[in-house]
Amino acid sequence: MDWSWSFVWEILPTLLEGVRVTILATLGGAVLAAVIGLALALLRRSPNKAVMRTTSFVIEFIRGTPLLVQLYFLFYVLPDAGITLGPMTAGLIGLGLHYGTYTAEVYRAGIDNVPTGQWEAAKACNLTGRQTWTQIILPQAIPPMVPALANYLIAMFKETPLLSAITVLELMNQARSVANFNYRYLEPMTLVGVFFLIISLISVSLLRLLERRLGRIG
Amino acid sequence: MNFMTTGMRVGSGKSLRITLGALAALALSSSFMSAPAVADGKLEELKKQGFARVAIANEPPYTEVKPDGTVSGAAPDVAREVFKRLGVGDIVASISEYGAMIPGLQAGRFDAVTAGLFMKPERCKAVAYSEPILCDAEALLVKKGNPMGFASYKDIADNPKARIGAPGGGTEEKLALQAGVPRDRVIVVPDGQSGVKMLQDGRIDAYSLPVLSINDLVKKANDPDLAVIAPVKGAPVYCDGAAFRKQDADLRDAYDKVLAEMKASGDFAKIIEPYGFSAAAAMSTTRDKLCGG
Repeated sequence: MDWSWSFVWEILPTLLEGVRVTILATLGGAVLAAVIGLALALLRRSPNKAVMRTTSFVIEFIRGTPLLVQLYFLFYVLPDAGITLGPMTAGLIGLGLHYGTYTAEVYRAGIDNVPTGQWEAAKACNLTGRQTWTQIILPQAIPPMVPALANYLIAMFKETPLLSAITVLELMNQARSVANFNYRYLEPMTLVGVFFLIISLISVSLLRLLERRLGRIG
Repeated sequence: MNFMTTGMRVGSGKSLRITLGALAALALSSSFMSAPAVADGKLEELKKQGFARVAIANEPPYTEVKPDGTVSGAAPDVAREVFKRLGVGDIVASISEYGAMIPGLQAGRFDAVTAGLFMKPERCKAVAYSEPILCDAEALLVKKGNPMGFASYKDIADNPKARIGAPGGGTEEKLALQAGVPRDRVIVVPDGQSGVKMLQDGRIDAYSLPVLSINDLVKKANDPDLAVIAPVKGAPVYCDGAAFRKQDADLRDAYDKVLAEMKASGDFAKIIEPYGFSAAAAMSTTRDKLCGG
């Protein structure tokens, strides 16, 4: 167990490239999850029973199976059906879909959380559907959602190493490859942990800041 | 040890002291567990234990785990026989990535690596190799008709669209990178079956493994749209050996002695030739030559 700083400097550029890919994957996955989640949440509120049931089933199905299995499916099984996704695309879709089902529940809880009286009051004031959503419901629904969404963002960030299973050269995969080449695991794996910790801590403080600001407006 | 003294000095708060104490205890106990029994020598230790732990891949014909869980393949078969003659009854194998074998050996997870881990100067610096056992050239698996016209790793480097798959931390990955294929076009493939699948799906344009491994894969995949290019132009013929920790040189020396006897008596050829390996190739070269480069 002898820590070598010269080895650290040598592998740092490679690992930073991995950090870049990891951050890209997280941000891309987060945007997808936010959009997919919203779509699923709205579909689940659909007055049409069939749509509502199907959506519920899809959500439960995806939540009930491991992300790793979903990634393997997207990457190795879909080509048999003629759909060949690039590793990063498959990874983003996997992350977006998986976490989309979680954010959908957050949206649902946030919207359900607005008291019925608010809907009734909006109706009584003769507001249009659009006005009701943008001026009454969403401003009250969004601030309580932020902490939960932020937690999923951080959780997703920490799950990006799974993408290494489908050959995405993110941080974990880069670290494993430099470790494999140099027969040294101590420095690469320690640095991976440190990078994840630093980025998590920074994101957490940024997100807490956002929460506080939104809280003040709300 | 260092850990503990620091812990005691710094630990003014009670909880801090307890945590550091626990850490120190952990460090101490783990250093006890991994301490090699220097007094007896490694071979005596293995004899007493009754088995040797070896690292293998799952890459027939070098190493293979049969569906019923038994371990075969040329490398473990040789190791099993040598260990038996040394008085160590059996081998217990665990599957590992190529790149993780040497660190695992150094960390004491295995007693030897018997996996077709080719001898190369930088590996020889890290571990104690036996004399050569299995020799093979490198091959490329491509789509039928070799649409991109590959003959060497250099050809892959020169085609900006070509992607090559190879096992992580294996010889082929290194050869491709050394030939100038950029990192993002060398795809690390988890196992042979995924390599074939990725080639069939068009995710990679060539998959590289030693000749005998590729031949075995192609036979099992049974896909007429695949073709083998062997040997890869400009790539050397490599030989593996059983790899031991540097401090277990006594075990290595004993292993070499039995191996030399088996090579002389023809028992060695009897084990490896059914798998397609050439005993003459292994006997025509030496560790010193392969490690010297």
